[in-house]
Amino acid sequence: MRYIKLSSENFETFFNSLKGWGKIYGPVKRGSIYSFQNVERVTELSLDYNRTMLPPKKFFVRPRDTMFRLKDGKWENGAGEENFVLFGLHSCDIHGLKILDKVYLNEPADPYYKVRRDAALIVGMSCMPDEYCFCKSLGTHFAMDGFDLFLHELPDGWLVRIGSVRGHEIAWENEELFEEVTDEDLRHFKEFEERRANAFQKEIPQEGLADMLDLAYNSQVWKNYAEICLACGNCNMVCPTCRCYEVCDNWINAYEAVRERRYDSCFMESHGLVAGGHNFRPTRLDRFRHRYYCKSYFDPSAGFNCVGCGRCDEFCPARIEHVKVLEEVRGSLR
Amino acid sequence: MSENPYQTHDARILEVKDLTPREKLFTLRFLDPEVSERFTFKPGQFVIVDVRGFGEFPVSLCSSPTRKGYIQLCIRKVGRMTRFIHRMKEGEVVGIRGPYGNGFPMEMMEGSNLILVAGGLGMAPLRSVLWYAIDSGKYEHVWLLYGTKAYEDILFRDEIIHLLKHGSSMNCSVKLAYEVESPSCIYLEGGFSDRVCRGVVTDLFRGEEFDVNNTYAFICGPPIMYKFVIKELLDRKLSPGRIYMTLERRMRCGVGKCGHCIVGTSTSIKYVCKDGPVFTYWDALSTRGLI
Repeated sequence: MRYIKLSSENFETFFNSLKGWGKIYGPVKRGSIYSFQNVERVTELSLDYNRTMLPPKKFFVRPRDTMFRLKDGKWENGAGEENFVLFGLHSCDIHGLKILDKVYLNEPADPYYKVRRDAALIVGMSCMPDEYCFCKSLGTHFAMDGFDLFLHELPDGWLVRIGSVRGHEIAWENEELFEEVTDEDLRHFKEFEERRANAFQKEIPQEGLADMLDLAYNSQVWKNYAEICLACGNCNMVCPTCRCYEVCDNWINAYEAVRERRYDSCFMESHGLVAGGHNFRPTRLDRFRHRYYCKSYFDPSAGFNCVGCGRCDEFCPARIEHVKVLEEVRGSLR
Repeated sequence: MSENPYQTHDARILEVKDLTPREKLFTLRFLDPEVSERFTFKPGQFVIVDVRGFGEFPVSLCSSPTRKGYIQLCIRKVGRMTRFIHRMKEGEVVGIRGPYGNGFPMEMMEGSNLILVAGGLGMAPLRSVLWYAIDSGKYEHVWLLYGTKAYEDILFRDEIIHLLKHGSSMNCSVKLAYEVESPSCIYLEGGFSDRVCRGVVTDLFRGEEFDVNNTYAFICGPPIMYKFVIKELLDRKLSPGRIYMTLERRMRCGVGKCGHCIVGTSTSIKYVCKDGPVFTYWDALSTRGLI
């Protein structure tokens, strides 16, 4: 990996140079929450954000997404995508995209996802955990790939890691903005990472988790939480790895229809419903457990489906905490 | 954009046949001869039917791959989409994409006995196996044990009655169970008292002997049926690896993206659409919630 330094003075010029790739989307404060929005000027960014409400999946799997247009009885594909820059992604979100890649780019690749993924330039950014973060215990607190450039905060600028050929090209074209990394920078980088590692307040011990959860299938804890849960589906919407979608055809006028897909949530009763009225997950308990098992599935090639971003905890109206549920379920085995 | 896997191919409805008051059999052929040529499938696979402007739904293929040039779908009128397709006539065009799923490993089973256990609409995917086995002639003996509500609900009634009468010449024995008594059933029972009875599908196992080392079982039916049939087969010492079942879930994409058909727990997650819909009983033992 190539490491270079971007000084604070050059940050704005660097930011503006990214517009050469495409529109820039970065974290912006909206009321009390953060959100990835189109930004024109550096001053609009909130770089000290903890987490956005919707993860960057919204750019790749859109909340409402037109797949086809019906014209003269035939489905037509939409146009291609414009290039865009995702600026300031935290490493958990980069890991989230990698998990989505495993699903959507698996053969046959989803063409809508793929074209957007190819169009996106991803600029990561270091962060400090807050009371909801537990990415360190899942190993998703540091991204080794899945980005083009990754900026690590230094007292007088940024240490930049280059993660792709595209990232190299951008650094190459803007060579005058960057300087070599000094020993002092490396010391600051190391100090930052150490400080960050000690700042985590939550963790989930991975050891044997998948097995323990499976064994605790009939645990009373699931039932207790299913009582508290409102089944609103917020956790699905804000999860960087939740990806269920529902497809519907909508008529926009008498002659034209569109086939759209939109986010679906496994907390909705219709999620397991099939024609004829049989429901494979009829109770809230089934649906609650299903989400936790889906997130905690240990894929031997990819690890857990959860990246520890803490969104489901922060945005849960019933204040259910993901880690606490899993800990209690595990504890109930004794 | 390269080839879009969600794009459906035009297929014309060649024939619509009423099987029962609720089910119709649609015979379809792809408009594009190239697509028609390329479309090969295994028994147990399914397609997604696209009624443009109204939506998509998954249906299992009920014709046999040995009968080329057309595909057949048996569709029950149960919801908005199926009500719509039931109104369609011969000559109209729908979209088809697929085939999806793993299908039954028919080659592996050559030379064996096959027991097909069907309940209600579960007959549709097993009809594909039935005709594949009979047409190919590569299987020792085929039993079809078919349970329905009433005489009126027997799908493919002509074929079933034909096989009741003449099945032995094709190495095939058919047995029927019905729940609701009616004159037609009693008439049928009178003719084939050893093979038609009032009861449920598991009653049809009575009196049948099969070589457990050379037999495969296929199950398809309503969700409640599986565990009773499996118990019956396990009691007869059939290995779980020889029990194949095909399952149903809400499927939107057919290719493992939309997430509706995910089943399992933290140690084993399966997508019914791409890892299935055909599973063995071993899979059901290792993946919770499969049946």
